[in-house]
Formats: sequence, structure tokens, C-alpha cells
Amino acid sequence: MLEVEGLEASYGPFLALAGVTLSVRPGEIVALLGPNGAGKTTLIRCVSGLLRPRAGAIRWESAPLDGVPAHEIVERGIAVVPEGRRLFPTMTVEEHLDLGAFAPRARAGRERRREEVFAIFPVLRERRRQRVRSLSGGQQQMVAIGRALMAAPRLLVLDEPSLGLAPRVVEAILGVLGEINRAGVSILLVEQNVHAALALAHRACILESGRIAGEGPARALLDDPHVRRAYLGPLALRE
Amino acid sequence: MTAAVLLQQVVLGLLIGGLYGLAAAGLSLVFGVLKVLNVAHGELIMLGGYGAFWLFALAGVDPFVALLAVVPASLLMGALLYHGLFAWVVRAHEETRIKNSLLIGFGLGLALHALAVQLFTADERAVTTAYAGAVLDLGGVSVPVVRLASLALALAITVGLHGLLARWRWGRAIRATAEDWEAAALAGIDVRRAYLLAFSIGTALAGAAGTLVSVGYSISPSIGLEWTLKALIVVVLAGLGSMLGTFVGGLVLGLAEAVSATAFGGPYREVVGLLIFFLVLVARPQGLFTR
Amino acid sequence: MSRAGVLAGIGAVAALAWLPVVVRRDDHLNFFVLVLLTVTLAQSWNIIAGYAGQVNLGHAAFFGLGALVTRSLWIGGAPVVAGMLAGAAVAVAFALAVGAAAFRLRGAYFAIGTLALGEILRITVGNVLPEISTLPTDVIAGYRLATRYWIALALAGLSVLAVAGLSASRLGLGMQAVREDEEAAEATGVGALRLKLVALVISTGLAGLAGGLFAFYHISYYPAHPFAPHWTFDAVLVTFIGGVGTLHGPILGAVFYVFLKEYLAVRWVDFHLLIFGALFVAIVLLLPGGLVEAGGRLRAAWRST
Repeated sequence: MLEVEGLEASYGPFLALAGVTLSVRPGEIVALLGPNGAGKTTLIRCVSGLLRPRAGAIRWESAPLDGVPAHEIVERGIAVVPEGRRLFPTMTVEEHLDLGAFAPRARAGRERRREEVFAIFPVLRERRRQRVRSLSGGQQQMVAIGRALMAAPRLLVLDEPSLGLAPRVVEAILGVLGEINRAGVSILLVEQNVHAALALAHRACILESGRIAGEGPARALLDDPHVRRAYLGPLALRE
Repeated sequence: MTAAVLLQQVVLGLLIGGLYGLAAAGLSLVFGVLKVLNVAHGELIMLGGYGAFWLFALAGVDPFVALLAVVPASLLMGALLYHGLFAWVVRAHEETRIKNSLLIGFGLGLALHALAVQLFTADERAVTTAYAGAVLDLGGVSVPVVRLASLALALAITVGLHGLLARWRWGRAIRATAEDWEAAALAGIDVRRAYLLAFSIGTALAGAAGTLVSVGYSISPSIGLEWTLKALIVVVLAGLGSMLGTFVGGLVLGLAEAVSATAFGGPYREVVGLLIFFLVLVARPQGLFTR
Repeated sequence: MSRAGVLAGIGAVAALAWLPVVVRRDDHLNFFVLVLLTVTLAQSWNIIAGYAGQVNLGHAAFFGLGALVTRSLWIGGAPVVAGMLAGAAVAVAFALAVGAAAFRLRGAYFAIGTLALGEILRITVGNVLPEISTLPTDVIAGYRLATRYWIALALAGLSVLAVAGLSASRLGLGMQAVREDEEAAEATGVGALRLKLVALVISTGLAGLAGGLFAFYHISYYPAHPFAPHWTFDAVLVTFIGGVGTLHGPILGAVFYVFLKEYLAVRWVDFHLLIFGALFVAIVLLLPGGLVEAGGRLRAAWRST
């Protein structure tokens, strides 16, 4: 469904992506792993329409995403939960969810979808009139995900959802992602928490210095010695 | 300087303060959403005033009624100005954008001022309706009715604006764009459309302010710079983000001017606002956008 | 600056010095004085804005201070040159007094902050000295336009020299580094504040001298008049239209501006501002290098045919 081919992107003279190829098939959860500065966020920005790539192609449901503005990409069925959540500080939970359904395609059925979001994240229903800046990190992440879900996406992209969150909260959120996927939404997940990501995903790609350095079924990568050494730390060596 | 004189000055200061607030609202909206500092905002106010004046002079339209024509016309003019000029400016990053918009606004302001001088001559004008001289006596303080009505209208417009930004779908989109335009785009908001709307509404607010200025006070092609400065002072005082807060900021400026005029003499009325402005700016050198 | 450039400059000044001998009509000579005054004012603004990158919208304050001090001292009996130097000194002193505070502001905030400062000064002077300033009759009797012309020429030459000298010097390079990216410049050890203050001193000193000329030139005017923002705006328009940050820009711009202004003023008051306002916007958006850039492109196109 999502196909990225030979993608190159730069910030000024700095080449952040040097030819990336990956895909997300319908119903899949694909994890995108790699060290800091590898270009993961850059890739997300290209897919979401915030950054124009220098070369290469991005196709979504067989149509090119070249030069399509971000809000239009939402309309086509991709919703992004950006790094650091990027919420609107003075707005309430409810207002965020309402804004999430801003795209014309998402307006129909938005009341029902809001109920679904509250069903997934009950704590948001309790706090729906609260300003998001008074919520905890985990709750804010839920708002961010909820906002993206309100757009009725067929592909949900998340950039580092576990950042700054307690392990228990991370577990809960990744559990939720599993639920969402089983309901039919494909997921592209950028994560630093390699263990959790590989436990959830079907497939994984490793991005290093702007290039794909490895790819395959998540289980296989869990056993891959390079991955274990580079990303899974001393805990992995014990197994 | 008696208490009665001071009270009278304070009342007059609050009456014009409401207009300062309205004038600032448009500038604040545009600055907050587009990150564009349109220093021609005062000239837009001036043009709104002339719109009301000529409707009155040529067609006998009561200026408060003229609002119904001037506001939509200003809205349209704002849309044209955005498409013709500021749509280019918003392509740059924030810091370049602010600087470019300052320069563009400067040129635009000069051009509009010169145009007004050509079309309307440099004479001062005011709308003098039949009821213009009516004055209410409230406990020894004279309150010109027209100015009181203007204050009430300015407040009503501000409240309406606040409601618009809170309830209207695109109003919320505008607020979201102001807070984080990338996140807004990711939520499906057409940011360019939000910019267009914000700029048009900002211009409409300027037109409304100008209409009210023409009826209680006076207008001439040269009032542009003065009103841009008033709006800037209020925006810096009140900060960005709240229309009601901006209105209060306007009242505060009016109040400060009244007090200083009574204390130091009329001619120094303007100086206190400018001084406060400079001092507040220097105290917050990081600008108005950080939270 | 190239040797050819220096020689050309000296030649131009020498030629221009003969002008009062050749040009008999006072109104023509007035035109030249106005051009030279505009060149000086524009180049002075060019230094702080074009080279150091600080858009100072309160420039008229220094012009006004120079005029105020010069006028007072000269009418009081001092030789005018001494008055002008004192005027420049006061302008610089004021610049240093507010400079440290003002330079805490960046970009557009500096611009509107200095605008406010300029207005504060104008209003204050207008309140303290509301009456028109006229020259005593014996001074009017002894008024020689040629003297004003030569002083104007000297100031214009001085301002062009200052800009030329700056653009070639380490000081000037440092200022340009600050203009391009102040943080990066600071990181490499360039003392940004010091450079900005130096630029401000040179800029305001020249503006003060220009103000002194204004005071010497005009027979009567309101003391607050040279503090009016339109002097700043003139400098901004001229510099940008000519080519901000270049040596020749303000000169080209000044000639173009004064010519059009005097020519159009006959029929339509302030009409030149409509044209220049629109031209200014066009230049900021499309041709940031102004007439100098346009000229360069034309020359390149000519050469390639």
C-alpha cells in the first residue's frame, strides 16, 4: 500500500536520506528502527508531506505522493502521530479530537469515531474538557494517537511514541496499537524501544545513516546478532 | 489637577482604549497565525475609516450601519492583499518571514498612504452625524454617546471574534495553525487556507476599527502610522493568543495615556505608550512567540 | 575597492566640486544639494542596515539630534562646522545610550523598537520646542547656497568613503557575518554586540552630520521636523531601491528618488511615495539587490549577446 523507492532527502547541504526503499503492506505493522540521526524522522516528514524529497518516489495505494500537501495526504488516508506529540497547548482533549477529524473525508461519522477513541483510551473520556498541557506524558500521547485516529486512516504512522514514557505506559500504548491494527489499520512505527517494537511488529527495517541496513520479519531480526549487539544491549547477550 | 478632571480623562481614555484593543486584535490575529508583522495595519484602519466617511458623505449612511458594508469590503480586500502579497511572504521560515513582512508592510503602508492622499487629500475628516454632539452626564463626567457606542461595539466585535475562534470549525483551525502549523497540517488542516482566513478577518477587524475611529474621532491619510504603533503597543503589552486579553490591553493603554496626559500634560500622551512598548520589548528580547 | 574605483571616485568629486561655478540657477543647485543630502543619509543607514543587518527604523532621531544641536550652536554664534561636529557627537552619544538596550532586540523587534524610540524623541522635541526656528536677518542676508553645496558634497563623499572602507575591512566583514547569522558569528568568536555598536556609531555619526547640514541649509523649519519618520523612510526606500548592502546602491537610489520626487511633486503631492512604496515591495520580493542588481543583470545579459 505504501511504497517508498530510492528516497533521497536533504536539509540544505546535509543529505539525510540517501536512497531508502521500504513498503508497508495492508494490515501490516512495520517497525522502523535505527540510531539517532539515522533519518527516521526525515523519512516520516517526507511521507507526511512536510518535507519534499530530493529524489525517489513515494506511492500510496498506487498513487504518487509527490508534492502533495500534508493536509491532502491526511485526506487520502494516512495519519501521522509526530515525534514529541505536537499537541496544541491551549486546546482541550475534545478540541484535539475534533480537529483530528478536520479532513473532509473524516467528517462523516466523527461522533462514532470519537466514541471509539474514548473506548480505546477511557482516561481521555474522563478528561475530555481538560487542556492538554495539564495532562501527563502518557495521556498526551493518547491524545496524539486519538487525534490521528479521528482522521479514519488506513495507515497510521507513529514517530517515537514511547519517548519519555514509563515502561508500563509504553506497554499499554503498544498494546493499543495492536488492537488498532487488528481492526484493520496498517501501522508504520518508528521506535527507539527496539524490544517493544519488534515484539509488536510483523516486519522491521533498520535505517542507518540514511540507508536501509537490514530488513526482515520481526522475529528474525530479534535473533540477528548485529541487531542484538547494536540495539538490544547487554540484556540481549544473556539469552 | 482635581479628581474630577482625572476621572474625566480616565473615562475618555477607556473609551478610546476599546478602539486600541480592536485595532490590535487584527494585528494580533495576523501576527499570531501567519507570523507576519503587517505594519500597514494602521493604513488598513485608515481606509476603513474613509470607507465609512464616504458612505456617510455621499449616501448619508449612518456610520454604525456602514459597518455592515465596510467589514465585508475589508474582508475582501484582506483576501486580495493576502493572495497578491502576503502569500509570497509566508513561504519563508519564521524569522525571515517576520522581517520580510515588516519590509513589505512598510512599502505597502507608504503606498496606501500616498494613494489616500491622492484620492482624499490630506485633510482631516470626521463623520458628524445628527447625534454626534450628544453627551451623557454620569455623575459629573461627560461621556460622548458616540464614543460610548463605539466602545460597546468594539467589545461586541471582540466577543464575537472570540466565539468565532472557539466554536467555528475554521476558527479552531486558525488557532491550531497559530500554535503549531505543522501539527495542524498533519491533522488535515489546509494551512494556506487558514492563513487566508486569518488575514482576511484581521483586515476586516481593521476596517471595523477604522469605521469607529471615523465617527468618534477623526481620520486623515496620516493616521496609519499612529494606529499601527498603538496596535503594536497593545500586542506587546497583552501578548498573543487571547482576543479578550488584547481588548483589555487596549483599555490599559488608553488608561495609561489618560493618566500620563493628566500628570505630564496632553502633548506627552503618546510618549508613555511608546516608552512602555520599548521597555516591555527590551524586557522580553526573545519576542512574543515563546510560551 | 579597486584602484580604478578610487580614481573614479576622486574624479567624480572633483568634477562635482566645480558644479556651483557652472550651474547658475539656485533651484538646480538645490536639487543637487538634496541629492547629496539623501546620499549621505542613505549611506549612513546602509551601514547599520545593509552591512550590519540591523533594520533601524528610528534613524530620523539621529538626523534630528544633529540638526537640533547644530542649529542651536550655530545661531548662538559658533562656527557651523563646530556645530555640526557637536551635533554628530550628540547623535552618537544618544545611540550609545540606547544601543545596548536596543540591541537586545533582534530582527523585526529591533525595527519596531527603534521606530518607537524615534517617535518618542520627535514628540518630546515637538513639545519642548514647538515654535518655528528661523535664522536672524543678517545670516539670511549672507546666505550662500554654494557653501551648503560643498559641505553636502563633502558629507556625501565622506559617507561613500566610510561604506567603501567598511566593505573592504575586517570590521565590515565581521558586520556582514553578524548580518547573515548572528548566532553563528558569535560562535566563531565575533563579538556581535561590539560590531553592531561600531556600525551604529558610524551610522549615527554620519546621520548627525547630515542633520547638521539640514540645519545649515534650511532657513526656517520646525525643530521637530527633522525627527519625523519620513526621513527614516526616505533612507530606507532609497537604500533598498538602489541596492541595500552595496556601495553604489544608495547613490543610484538617491539620484533616482530625488529626481522622481522633485519631478512628480509639481503635479501630485506625495505621488512619488506611491510609486516608491510599490517599487519597494517589488524589490523586496523579486529583486532584493535593487537597481544595482538589475544593472548587473542587464550588463551580464548585454555581454552574453
